[in-house]
Amino acid sequence: MSLSEHATSAMDAPRDTVLTVQEASVRYGATTVLKDLSLSLNRGEFVCVIGPSGSGKTTLLRLLAGLLTPVSGSVDFRGQPHRAPSRDIAIVFQDYTNALLPWRDAEGNVSLALEAAGVPRAERRDQIHALLRTVGLVGSEGKFPAEMSGGMQQRLQIARCLAQKPDVLLMDEPFGALDAMTRQKLQDELLGIVAESQVTAFFVTHDLEEAIYLGDRIIALEPNPGRVSQIFDVPLPKPRNQLTTREMPEFLRLRRQLFDFIERYEQ
Amino acid sequence: MTLFHRSLWFLASLALLVGLIWGWQILADARVLPRAFFPGPDLTWRALKRGVANGSLLSDTLTTLRRMALGWALASLIGVALGAFVGTSAWARVWIAPMFEALRPLPASAIAPVAMLFLGLTDTMILTLIAFGALWPMLLTTVHGFSNIHIRRREVATSLGLSRSAFITKIALPGALPDIMGGLRLGLTIALILVVVGEMVTVQGGLGARILLAARAFNAPEIFAGIAVLGVIGLLTNAVLSLVETYALRWQRR
Repeated sequence: MSLSEHATSAMDAPRDTVLTVQEASVRYGATTVLKDLSLSLNRGEFVCVIGPSGSGKTTLLRLLAGLLTPVSGSVDFRGQPHRAPSRDIAIVFQDYTNALLPWRDAEGNVSLALEAAGVPRAERRDQIHALLRTVGLVGSEGKFPAEMSGGMQQRLQIARCLAQKPDVLLMDEPFGALDAMTRQKLQDELLGIVAESQVTAFFVTHDLEEAIYLGDRIIALEPNPGRVSQIFDVPLPKPRNQLTTREMPEFLRLRRQLFDFIERYEQ
Repeated sequence: MTLFHRSLWFLASLALLVGLIWGWQILADARVLPRAFFPGPDLTWRALKRGVANGSLLSDTLTTLRRMALGWALASLIGVALGAFVGTSAWARVWIAPMFEALRPLPASAIAPVAMLFLGLTDTMILTLIAFGALWPMLLTTVHGFSNIHIRRREVATSLGLSRSAFITKIALPGALPDIMGGLRLGLTIALILVVVGEMVTVQGGLGARILLAARAFNAPEIFAGIAVLGVIGLLTNAVLSLVETYALRWQRR
């Protein structure tokens, strides 16, 4: 069976782990947002996170990003304690409007990451163009974010994250604000990018089907306080296809399980 | 608005201006006030032409412009630098910002006698006066702009590993620029007022001194000529700054 019922299953995976969380708790004032949460991300895998609102999905992402420190427990990145944000961990935010710089055009926004990493000016241009090609923004190099559609802006943010050459790509409901067609297109492009760059992907979403379609593994969080409830393995073949993958019995079975899981909290 | 509409409105406002000058001429010709105190556009124009012909008007105008520009630049430099420091430091916001609120309402012209005592009747005194008065709008708008950086931009900066100085020049400053530009324009208006005040106090050349001396000589057309030139300076400097602003904030119009 592909379903592993116990929350600690991630712990006994001795594979090449990149990020490890051990018994971590996070508190905002008096509220415990995450309690004794453990999980590890293996190199190159695509992990999706689902859960009802208030289960700490975004907090978990911020913990992995190094934007938060746990009050107890630990977070390790490549075997070292992880206390501050690292250039090797890129974050794709949901609100691309705030994450992009409106006074820089597409090239300039990607360039920001290269400037921060100290890439010499002469090398930036080629890298920027390669990255914009990767995310399908050829011909929009000189456009400002306000001149782009939501999908294009999110592509641009992904390009800037890839410019960091990250080991881990953290994504916080990146397609949440996009329409269905754009969303499906970006899902496929993201899968291609992740497969090619061999980056480890951590993807928070409230769209259960999106989690199944993208993920190798799905972590289901439960609320009050936020903790890992179940971990689902996704044994669907790759590359995935918007029509055939979504019609597979395994896809439908997982879909049913995730809906049953979420429904328990949505009353 | 289309180009056609805009040029129509421009022509309308131009017509209004011409109408006002014409009305001024009628009032002056009707001798509502003694001609010696209230010259019409014709006498003012003659005074302007005389000033241009003997070169004194041009040199006074240039003196005033130079002082205004230097004082304004000084105020901008101090205002933006200090504002950036206070705006990005939580410590400075608590300890220094309240002091600004106490100093800001002080009319800068009241400082003139103090500046005169310490600096004498010099250019330095005029520049200090301008810088003090024009500083506040720039300082306060810069503090506002820098303290309102979206939290996401800070997170992006830390996740990219941007240094503090790179954060200020690449994220904070461009983000605060719309606020700062507003402060620069307000400061420019104040600089023009204070350059005239300073020149009237020091009487070391410039349009302010020219108007003051003309008043002492009961030379009304000369006063009106000086005022007209000051009006044109205000109009033109503001227009130039508007152009700069449009260019610097061109990303906002998309």
